[in-house]
Amino acid sequence: MKKGDRFFKFITLSPIVIYTSLLILLPLIYIFFLSFCKNDSYGGIIYDFTLSNYIAIFDITYLNIFVKSSLIAFIATFICICISYPFALILRERSENLQNLMTKLIMIPFLTNSLIRTYGWIVLLRKNGIVNSILITSGLIENPLSLMYNNLGIIIGMSYTLLPFMVLPVCSSVFKIDNTLIEAARDLGAKPWAIFKKIIIPETISGVFNGSLMVFIPAIGYFFISDILGGGKAMIIGNLIKNQFLTARNWPFGSAISIFLIIITFFLVWIYRKLGGKLDDLGGM
Amino acid sequence: MKYIKLLIIIVSLILVTGCNRSSDYDGVLNVLNWSSYIPDSVIHDFEEEYNIKVNYGTYSSNEELLAKVTSSKEGTYDLVFPSDYMVELMKEKNIIMKLDKDKILNYYNIDDTFLHQSYDPYNEYSLPFLSTVVVIAVNEANITDNITGYNDLLMSKYKNNIVILDDQRIVIGMSLMALGYDMNETDPKALKEAEEWLIKLKQNIKAYDSDSPKTFFITDEVDIGIMWSAEAILARDENPNINIIYPSEGHAISMDNYVILKGSKNVDNAYLFIDYLLRDDVSKKIIAEYPYISPNKSIYNTISLDDIFNKGYYVENIGSNIKEYDKLWADIK
Repeated sequence: MKKGDRFFKFITLSPIVIYTSLLILLPLIYIFFLSFCKNDSYGGIIYDFTLSNYIAIFDITYLNIFVKSSLIAFIATFICICISYPFALILRERSENLQNLMTKLIMIPFLTNSLIRTYGWIVLLRKNGIVNSILITSGLIENPLSLMYNNLGIIIGMSYTLLPFMVLPVCSSVFKIDNTLIEAARDLGAKPWAIFKKIIIPETISGVFNGSLMVFIPAIGYFFISDILGGGKAMIIGNLIKNQFLTARNWPFGSAISIFLIIITFFLVWIYRKLGGKLDDLGGM
Repeated sequence: MKYIKLLIIIVSLILVTGCNRSSDYDGVLNVLNWSSYIPDSVIHDFEEEYNIKVNYGTYSSNEELLAKVTSSKEGTYDLVFPSDYMVELMKEKNIIMKLDKDKILNYYNIDDTFLHQSYDPYNEYSLPFLSTVVVIAVNEANITDNITGYNDLLMSKYKNNIVILDDQRIVIGMSLMALGYDMNETDPKALKEAEEWLIKLKQNIKAYDSDSPKTFFITDEVDIGIMWSAEAILARDENPNINIIYPSEGHAISMDNYVILKGSKNVDNAYLFIDYLLRDDVSKKIIAEYPYISPNKSIYNTISLDDIFNKGYYVENIGSNIKEYDKLWADIK
């Protein structure tokens, strides 16, 4: 019987283990290895150890991109929190059916390719697009607003595309709050603000942090959104990495930036743990 | 048991039909080309006429082509279409073969002006397929000034009104030409000036776009565009007010070429395909759909050939200086 169990485990787990090791772990090791190599002027790789790729990241030009990129990602993350948190708190009071329905409704549009949805925003945001037409015909503005081909466009695109990654963890942590805790607090005379501060925030902070990581990290990397909705005017880290692989033909430098990005991710998780968060609460992380 | 039988039947059916299909043709040809470059009907006609199956793959940048070719086994691809500087690079990497022009009967359809270019002076390895240049497109319904070159575009009244190619070599090269330097200049002082010039231009730029800058004209988003001539012609087809200007300071030119890869197993079929594409009627069909500049003598190009070549400059390999370009590009963006 025990033998059969082990066999069953092996059969069910092996696809995911093979998948992650072949398609995630192996490429990552290769990228890590590449980041210490040199490149020749034709885009070839010279297998010769160097740290110069990592030193090059600390050039003021590239640091500026990191700062600008992080700022955009931070604002997008903040917007996602502002939308997800009230959404989850309101939904918490409703029936389970409605909760399921609403979270599904949030997910459904995201089954469509994100590139197509990003192009969809052009129709809404452009100079003579739907949003501007409505505002002008209703007499609210006279000249069309610049809603895209700038940083605003990128932030709108990022917060829209990455919203589900915030909604899901926030909802699951908010729905999990023990009702008896809140009732007890009420009985003891706690005001709504005190309940929010003393119970809801501590109980859900791990969900919010989990969501923030899942929004923030892609938001510094999704180059197609900055290309399409930002008009290619702002270079974010994703564009920088893409350029190294495609136009500058400098794969080692591109790899070094990618590894640096992973280090930043670990750093953020480290901060979270220092603040008292548990790694288990991050679930997928 | 029933399922296994069914499975065997299905598998054998697939095998049988698969065999039939390949034996229907006398040969194959593996082509890699830019996307949106040869109409499907042209390839289909070739397959019918010569009974050769064409496996057609696409790429969207020269670097992608190089990566595809060098990372796959020799003989995977037969015929590819690299641009000027990539022909030179592939030649140096020793991955392309010398062409036997005797096997290309329609070689004489090529206009001499397109031959003997700097990247392959004796056309030993390459023959021109199609070309395009960077032009300034202006919507004259909204812009009445007489724009003649890049420096005219710095005027502050064009704020947020320009779409420009998202291509560092072309855009930096353009600023160098505007300042009177060579398009491929690598001198740090010149690059510093180019950076300042581009920062001045940036306030007038609405977007960087290489994929479909004509859309910006069609949706009335901008009135000025710095784009490839083929895109400009398509934009003009939609809006006759668009005027196409050859910048007085010079322009970037790009030429894509027929090149046969070393180790190709279908060399003769590749020659047949090149010969076929060089026919007058086939060239006309291609140009009708994609308005690039054709080297075919029988085609009247709306663009004067003297304008194209006298003031046109190719992107050249600049070795490790590409890092300086890349940094400058990151700086201005």
